[in-house]
Amino acid sequence: MKLRDMLLYLASPLLFILGWELYYDIFIRNPFVLAPPSKVFITFIILLSGRVANFFMPLDALYSLYHYLMGFSIATLLGFTLGILAGYIESFRKSIYLLVEIIRPIPPIAWIPIAILLFKLTHEAAAFIIFIGAFFPVLLNTSTGASSVEKEYIEAAMTLGATKTSQILLKVVIPATLPSFLTGVRVGSGVAWMCVVAAELFGVSSYGLGYKIELGRMYHSPDIVISYMLMIGVVGLILDRMWIKLEETLLKWRRGITWGRSS
Amino acid sequence: MEEGDNLGEKLLMVRNLKKYFKGQNGKILEVLDGINLDITRGEFTSIVGPSGCGKTTFLRILAGLDTQYEGEVYLKGEKVTKPGISTTMVFQDFALFPWRTVLKNITFGLEVRGMRMEEAIEKAREYIKLVGLDGFENAYPHELSGGMKQKVALARALVCNPEVLLMDEPLASLDLQTRNMMQAELVNIWQRTRKTIVYVTHNIEEAVFLSDKVVIFSKRPTKIKDILEVELERPRDRFSEEFVRLRAKIASILAS
Repeated sequence: MKLRDMLLYLASPLLFILGWELYYDIFIRNPFVLAPPSKVFITFIILLSGRVANFFMPLDALYSLYHYLMGFSIATLLGFTLGILAGYIESFRKSIYLLVEIIRPIPPIAWIPIAILLFKLTHEAAAFIIFIGAFFPVLLNTSTGASSVEKEYIEAAMTLGATKTSQILLKVVIPATLPSFLTGVRVGSGVAWMCVVAAELFGVSSYGLGYKIELGRMYHSPDIVISYMLMIGVVGLILDRMWIKLEETLLKWRRGITWGRSS
Repeated sequence: MEEGDNLGEKLLMVRNLKKYFKGQNGKILEVLDGINLDITRGEFTSIVGPSGCGKTTFLRILAGLDTQYEGEVYLKGEKVTKPGISTTMVFQDFALFPWRTVLKNITFGLEVRGMRMEEAIEKAREYIKLVGLDGFENAYPHELSGGMKQKVALARALVCNPEVLLMDEPLASLDLQTRNMMQAELVNIWQRTRKTIVYVTHNIEEAVFLSDKVVIFSKRPTKIKDILEVELERPRDRFSEEFVRLRAKIASILAS
């Protein structure tokens, strides 16, 4: 990366931190209400190194990832399977349409009471909320992709001897849907990670980044709260980068079609 | 590549084929109006006709992709009701699978026939050589030029060793120079494989250059106007007197 680019990327964070520091020093000046970035930075390092027993950040991150993976992987698996079927089989698409469109606008947070009633205060309850958040983006992107596979690919496959539906699905519909599916995975992953906080707020387990934000508030320690917020942002960024990397690797065949044209 | 026997056998028989399309507002568009045609094994048949006359529709019916028609289409004495393994189609805009490399596009037809992968790859390489794409095995379709894409589509169809190869204006999207080159290539490949080819084109010169038989379609509702045999020696000289005379004759039949 060129120096000029680096400065450009750093411009807004630095400006933001400066404004925040000034705002704290001029208007707040109360460590129980807000923490300045200088203090957050130190707290963040201390928490990250795991030296505070009640706020053992590395373990919290692992637990949050555990919740995320549990909910997100089930959402991806189910969203993919149903999405391919809904995209390819029109009658199936119609038969689930109404149900999906009624449940979809209900925000994941609204499911928390049901999740707790169903699963009690367990990891599964958190995973359930995350599942709700991630499922619909995966389902909808996959089914849209599968329903718009070019007819010509399917016809070409048929005249080349792909006579069974399973062959058409496995060798044409699924690979042709891969780009939309991966978009769904990326969007779903983002929503899932955002749901982690909501899912953990209610104390489903004594570890987790979301739970510790709430705990930090109870301790009247804004520096801890913000440190955990920062951690959520950082992990979310890393997850998103991973999905982008995966997308680029799996969709090598598309390079030049989309990436080339858009840039 | 292993045919050559049974030359002269009637491979495809089309009897009184009629096809309508229902448009919006229920208006019926008559496309094919009683087509009768025999295609002999090992022959290169071209179909020419004005645009919109249903040449592609005709080919899709032969391929089993369109089954809503009246009349009969027989392949080796059996009615065509769905796409089968005996016919393969080459599409106008190639329809290569963009997620597969050149090699994997060509192995597709072998994979779905249940051939072992190593064997399929070996066979695909043979055909890559046949169409002259050596060195591009691992390229993706988006990295290829139009002419190369067409070669992949051709190899992908030929490797399946179909009894009938249907080609829908396969060279229409290429520039003149590439098209001429591909025509020569096609004649070359055809002479080596002796496939039964039904070739749709709107280009009279192309039809005369390539085929044993040129079938001339009328405009809609479409009937066969005439069938001409081309008995010139291959490779054909586009400027020979006979070639030019045939071209003119087909053009005048088309225009009449």
